[in-house]
Amino acid sequence: MCLAIPMKIIAINGFEARCEAKGVERDVSLFMMMNEDVEVGDFVMVHVGYAIQKMTPQEARSAWELFDEALGTGDIPLTTGDDHV
Amino acid sequence: MATTARQWLQRIRALELPERVRIMNVCGGHERAITLAGLRAALPDAIELIPGPGCPVCVCPEEDVYQAMQLALHEDITLVAFGDMLRVPVNLPKREIRSLEQARAAGADIRPVASPTEAVAIARADPQRPVVFFAAGFETTTAPVAAMLAEGAPDNLSVLLSGRLTWPAVAMLLDSEDAGFNALIAPGHVSTVMGPEEWEFVVRDHDIPAAVAGFTPESLLAAMYSTLRQLLEGRRFLDNCYPEVVKPGGNRSAQRWLEETLEVSDATWRGVGTIPKSGYVLREGLAAHDARKLYPSYEDPQRKRIGEMPAGCDCSRVVLGKIYPNECKLYGLACTPRSPIGPCMVSDEGACRIWWAGGVRERKAPEVA
Ligand code: SF4
Repeated sequence: MCLAIPMKIIAINGFEARCEAKGVERDVSLFMMMNEDVEVGDFVMVHVGYAIQKMTPQEARSAWELFDEALGTGDIPLTTGDDHV
Repeated sequence: MATTARQWLQRIRALELPERVRIMNVCGGHERAITLAGLRAALPDAIELIPGPGCPVCVCPEEDVYQAMQLALHEDITLVAFGDMLRVPVNLPKREIRSLEQARAAGADIRPVASPTEAVAIARADPQRPVVFFAAGFETTTAPVAAMLAEGAPDNLSVLLSGRLTWPAVAMLLDSEDAGFNALIAPGHVSTVMGPEEWEFVVRDHDIPAAVAGFTPESLLAAMYSTLRQLLEGRRFLDNCYPEVVKPGGNRSAQRWLEETLEVSDATWRGVGTIPKSGYVLREGLAAHDARKLYPSYEDPQRKRIGEMPAGCDCSRVVLGKIYPNECKLYGLACTPRSPIGPCMVSDEGACRIWWAGGVRERKAPEVA
């Protein structure tokens, strides 16, 4: 459950953000980002559907690269209900 | 240029290490990254990497899983839970329904979710039908549950909360006679939410070097190097090797939601016992969303006695870092991910499961009986 992934915000509607990582889109709650200015184009670390912290694009990218390396695939490990990680 | 994993390894190899250093991690994500990257084999023999209490599914009390199962089987409700929870077996004979997955196969309306927002969506889709969200997890997972409650959960959604705090388990180990480790890798995303300061007691009160790490081999090796240098130089401080998302003070709004909706209480950890101030319960004002209050008849205090690990399963010692997964006599024999006996072989964060997935096939004789 502690596996979080960096995602890029592509749209914001209230406390809900549409986020993208490597072509996969998800709705992400910004309800724990009250103390931050978050804007479209920002990168956030996402855990169980909630953004938990902002990060720089460079940091997001290097995290993705390392996920790829660690998993030996081009996929990022996005959580789904049936394969929860 | 950032330091690469190879360079960190070279730096660690260049250190003049004592005979044996035991570095504990308390996060399934760390253990998975360590195992997948093969760090154990790459590090000098003197360094032992110990997986500690880092799996919320593993320590979720058996009586809670049992209660969730009974609720789903006997009430006209929808039960939602994080996917990992569904396969955790309770201590019942094989012919009986022993997991949420089996209860689902028997007709109970049980659905896996990956986020509290999915639980909300399921509740909204049918406002007449009660939905119970069985939510086990550490701070990183419990904070989103708190945020969901603070934002305003639908009337028909309640939470069966098994939230736990990680640091009290480490404090308990350090207060015991034999903590079993002399350096600590502190969890990255727990620190993102709660702030790294939570782990300062480790260096301050116990003279144990500690460093917060992220989930890449670079960050983990940097944290190991830091704790080793601290040991060798006799200095102690809490290092932050995951500054990308671990900020001083942590995530204040996450902490605010936790504070507003939940209260810290003593809590049972499966296979471990009660740890003071290590769990979360819903605040009085949220009683209408508290499944423990809405369905109290499914609580079975009797189970607290039988609710330990299944017979022969050494998960409790695995969780506390007393033995390695492959020192359990059932590892890979009676117990595999396909037919798990204990929760440590079920969860993606369980050390047994991670080691098996990482290719550890041979069993090891325990060092101490
Ligand atoms: S290998 Fe299976 S039986 Fe042994 S400790 Fe791990 S989960 Fe329990």
